[in-house]
Amino acid sequence: MDCRDVKTIALDRLAGEADEASRRELSAHLAGCENCRREMGRLEDLWTVLGTDPDATVTPEFRERSLELIEEEFLRRRVREFRPRTRSVRPFLQAAAMLAAGAVGYLIARGLPSSSTASPTPVAGSAPRAIATPSAGVARASNTGSVVLDLASSPRFSNVSYRPADPDGRVGIEFDVTTRQTVVGRPEEPEVARLLAYLLSRNAETAGEKSRAIALVSEHYGTGSATASPEIVAALSATLRKDPNPGVRKKAADALASFAITPEIRTVFLAALVSDKNPAVRLVAVDALAAAAKQSPDAATIASLREKAVDPQENGFVRAKAASALKAISF
Amino acid sequence: MESKGSDDLELLERIRRGDTGGAGELFERYAPALLRFTDRMLSDRASAEEVTQEVFVKVISRAHQYDGRAGVASWLFAIAANACRDRRRRDRRAMVVPLEAVAEPRARGEGIESTIASRQRRQAVRQALSELSDEQREALVLARYHGMPYAEIADTLGISVGAVKTRIFRAVETLKAHFSEGESWTAAT
Repeated sequence: MDCRDVKTIALDRLAGEADEASRRELSAHLAGCENCRREMGRLEDLWTVLGTDPDATVTPEFRERSLELIEEEFLRRRVREFRPRTRSVRPFLQAAAMLAAGAVGYLIARGLPSSSTASPTPVAGSAPRAIATPSAGVARASNTGSVVLDLASSPRFSNVSYRPADPDGRVGIEFDVTTRQTVVGRPEEPEVARLLAYLLSRNAETAGEKSRAIALVSEHYGTGSATASPEIVAALSATLRKDPNPGVRKKAADALASFAITPEIRTVFLAALVSDKNPAVRLVAVDALAAAAKQSPDAATIASLREKAVDPQENGFVRAKAASALKAISF
Repeated sequence: MESKGSDDLELLERIRRGDTGGAGELFERYAPALLRFTDRMLSDRASAEEVTQEVFVKVISRAHQYDGRAGVASWLFAIAANACRDRRRRDRRAMVVPLEAVAEPRARGEGIESTIASRQRRQAVRQALSELSDEQREALVLARYHGMPYAEIADTLGISVGAVKTRIFRAVETLKAHFSEGESWTAAT
């Protein structure tokens, strides 16, 4: 070994790269060369000095900030992935959205008892029927098959009360018109559904009355897979859109969320997410839309959730909910 | 450098699939080493943290580009090295950061005297390291502080093993000259 090779091999040794043969050769050379021993000593000292430099450590704050940043980056990427609309595609999408909105409106209108007004108008099915007026003072319990209701004249029901479902799934609705009436039947039966929709949309005047009507619907349909009657969906949708009481709107949203989400319900929730002033209602909308999007992701839902997730003006809980909802959706 | 090859690949695959947890695990595994590297490359704690975070953000966007030619660790350090070079180029004029101002968190229970001594050592070594070129410093830091084999350093920096040895050799020569001219070696120890 030449003295000129010593530095290189010495460095290899310090870096753990020298093989056994090189180390032996180096040792043999150092044993007989004073200058190289001094040089080796200097290199070892330098290597040691470098090692005294303390390592930077990951602090809990840095770790927390970084993990948040990572989460945000994933979110941003999801948002970007859903922003590939080019200008040429946008008009077609807008046209498609308008067509879809028209179709939804048509379907809702068909499902309503009457399409003449925005609010569901109570109608008694295909044939005009009169509310049975039993003998005064007698409360009549009957199957809806035998109850004949005429809601077209917008009768005013008072003292409305509800009985929860019996073992056969039939709920009871009691009210006073001229006498005490009791209607018993399954909520999905057309007459009962119309009556419930009527009570909710037209008859109930106070928040309490509306809430009780909604509660009955929620209790019955609370499975998450039931398909509600168009009348009930329309009544709840109208309540969610228009009711001035946020508590009632929230209950209506909860009830709608408990149904199997149809395109109509999705449209109502999308509108609520954008325009409802109450964050609790918007949170329900986020949950419902996210649950529906998990089953079948749609661009409008993803776009709305994305906007909410990054909207600095939005309530923090809603923003976070929208962000985590997006994460749960695989698109 | 400890190899966790298959685990690392699994984490990258999870990141490709959009799994935040995968990126979190990768952070836990590599952030300490990357922070040590960026801290020594930039001599500024705040910048080092930023660049380390930048590495993980880049990993998320580039996970699908990883081709497996180098180990995941080498790939991460390569991203970090490039990010440090970019940062130094950008902040060239502002890079003179008084080392006293570098906010290295004090270890719990560490006394004042040992803190001062530690800071002095750090100051002396960082001052010496700052005299190296970026290329020399990268190679030396990876060899000395990360125990990375020459071949892995070569993969990381995209150079030959011979070039790695040359850079380390020159770095050591520069440091020896620094310590023999200015402060004594013992001042640093």
